[in-house]
Amino acid sequence: MTSLQLFFQQLANGLTLGAIYALIALGYTMIYGVLQLINFAHGEVFMVGAYAALTVVLAPAIHPLLAGLPWWGALLVGGIGAMGCCGWLGLAIERVAYRPIRHAPRLNALITAIGLSFFLQNAVMLLYGATDRQFPSLIPLVRWELGGVTITLMQVVVWTASALLMVALQALVRSTKLGMAMRATAQDLSACALLGIPVDRIIATTFAIGSALAAMGGVLFGLTYGTINFHDGYLTGLKAFTAAVLGGIGNIPGAMVGGLVLGLLEGLGAGYLSSQWKNVFAFVVLVLLLLCRPTGLLGERVAERA
Amino acid sequence: MFRPQSTVNSPQFWKEVCGGRSTVDGGRRFLLALVACALWMTGCGPREPVVKIGFVAPLTGDQAPQGQDMLHGAELAVEQARGQGPVLPHRFELVALDDQRSPTQAVAAAKKLVADRDVVAVVGHLNSSCTMPASAIYHQARLLQITPVSSNPQISRQGFDTFYRTCATDDLQGPAAALFIATTLNARRVFVLDDMTTYGRGLANEVIKKLAALGVDVIGHEGITQGDKDFMPVLTKIKAINPDALYFAGMFPEGALLLKQRVQVGLAARFVGGDGLFDAALIELAGPEAAEGAYLTTIGSDIRQMPTAQAFLTAYEARFGPVGAYSAYAYEATSLAIWAVRQAGVKDRAAVLAAMKTLKDYQGLFGLQGFDERGDSLIRDIGIFTIRDGRFAFVKTATWD
Repeated sequence: MTSLQLFFQQLANGLTLGAIYALIALGYTMIYGVLQLINFAHGEVFMVGAYAALTVVLAPAIHPLLAGLPWWGALLVGGIGAMGCCGWLGLAIERVAYRPIRHAPRLNALITAIGLSFFLQNAVMLLYGATDRQFPSLIPLVRWELGGVTITLMQVVVWTASALLMVALQALVRSTKLGMAMRATAQDLSACALLGIPVDRIIATTFAIGSALAAMGGVLFGLTYGTINFHDGYLTGLKAFTAAVLGGIGNIPGAMVGGLVLGLLEGLGAGYLSSQWKNVFAFVVLVLLLLCRPTGLLGERVAERA
Repeated sequence: MFRPQSTVNSPQFWKEVCGGRSTVDGGRRFLLALVACALWMTGCGPREPVVKIGFVAPLTGDQAPQGQDMLHGAELAVEQARGQGPVLPHRFELVALDDQRSPTQAVAAAKKLVADRDVVAVVGHLNSSCTMPASAIYHQARLLQITPVSSNPQISRQGFDTFYRTCATDDLQGPAAALFIATTLNARRVFVLDDMTTYGRGLANEVIKKLAALGVDVIGHEGITQGDKDFMPVLTKIKAINPDALYFAGMFPEGALLLKQRVQVGLAARFVGGDGLFDAALIELAGPEAAEGAYLTTIGSDIRQMPTAQAFLTAYEARFGPVGAYSAYAYEATSLAIWAVRQAGVKDRAAVLAAMKTLKDYQGLFGLQGFDERGDSLIRDIGIFTIRDGRFAFVKTATWD
């Protein structure tokens, strides 16, 4: 393996992790965009997404049907099931936990988010047990050699799924009426309300979309690593939040870029420097970047409202 | 928590206690209530006096399968002891606490056990990183601690006379693994990974020391983080270095992911690990194909081959199902603690500790059990297992020098 091949191999590894971070980071940034709220329960939504897919795929009513489908059929069923579940969960979170305190001081929402995070973690622990659960391996192990660089089918699925979702989200935000309303709400909530935009519904939809994206992140995470645990949402959620800040919080393309950059940094840092400093490395880069560019890589607005 | 603002015997105090109407003789009625409470707590109700054995291991979290196996072993020992009648008028009770494999939680659990005056001995913990700080707390309280499986040699070198352990240590396990890698697997270039815990780093260093002494080239040593899931970058790096063998000193949740991702990366090196990998969940989480052909060392020989353990195996399997890797050690440690309490004959920590020190040639599961002056077991067998057709298969009892 030459050093160039090694580099591209590490790039592929980093991109896989980065794509998952990006999907989760989108939810953080979208919710921050409309409400200036950091939804710390978002990492748990990601974890619930993985468990939802596991439940759907292994459900006695569905599991036998999947045997007749090709692998991507099962993946589609699991992915859509998880996104559906978490979309509803996102709506419920917004309605129950955040809407009643929308006009309260910001600290209240932050504490609520942390409480919600504990609640979701413990609920999943009670429902599914405290041990690692094996995630069904829906994707067969296929490996291709491209000029000495090994690419697995799993990696291709992760890249494709997240790319498709990001393009779809970008199209939704840029060129639909709903997207326009979301952008307007992000600019000025009260002015939107005055103009007759149903801000409550727009905010709820934002939560649903962000949560569904996190759910897909959870499915891809479960598929890639094969095990899930009720506390997996914590560190991964924290990393995705870092990615959102890295890209410029509130900025949707920023979250995508931030996720990919963070994944690459971790991959290359662990591959070239030392794997024991993997987490440290990512956060050191974040601190350095924020010192030079407080608004993040693509951030337009100053994140002082957090 | 109820915290009275007013002084005792004042009418306000009475009002706060009952929330009802105050009378002039409120203070007297409060005293009466107190007396009634005291009577209810001591006199009435058939409350048996108990003597408690503390137990701590990770009962939730990723290492819970091993912790639960240990708990089952301890429960079986206590149940059997109850069957043999009480010690004095006391009934044996097991107090199981969860340390979630976190040193902070371990210290909290240790303090809780120390504060409970009914606890006369502790069986725990699983991880060396938990046993290490907790052992200081037990020592300070003069409370007997027997760890079933924490194998880091430094723990017993702190000089705590309250500390005992029923397994072999890593300064035996490490050299045994190194010898196996060098002579049986014939590896010339070895990469070592550990999980940066007291156990993992300690074991990795022992392996490296012996490998170097045997003239084997250790071409790299790196750490991974417990709880992390993505090991592709470091495995890719190892693949580029192309060693003959990869040694991992850590626990099974990370071990399973390493085995699985090793196949995804296409790393051909032989995989060897420590006793932290010895759990059926390793094979389940990694998948039988990915786990096939991996080797691991254990901190004792194969329990199934021990003639002295057959009764335990039958009883355990009838009660809890298949025996886990650490079940037998927890059973042994709990039985020893119960033995010490019976010998002491009184519910007193100092007496139990003194009784433990008199132990000699105890008939345990792994043969005649005894302890050296540090509290380490005199049974020093190291087993070597491999994974064949999705199950652990015993290879041999190892040598270490």
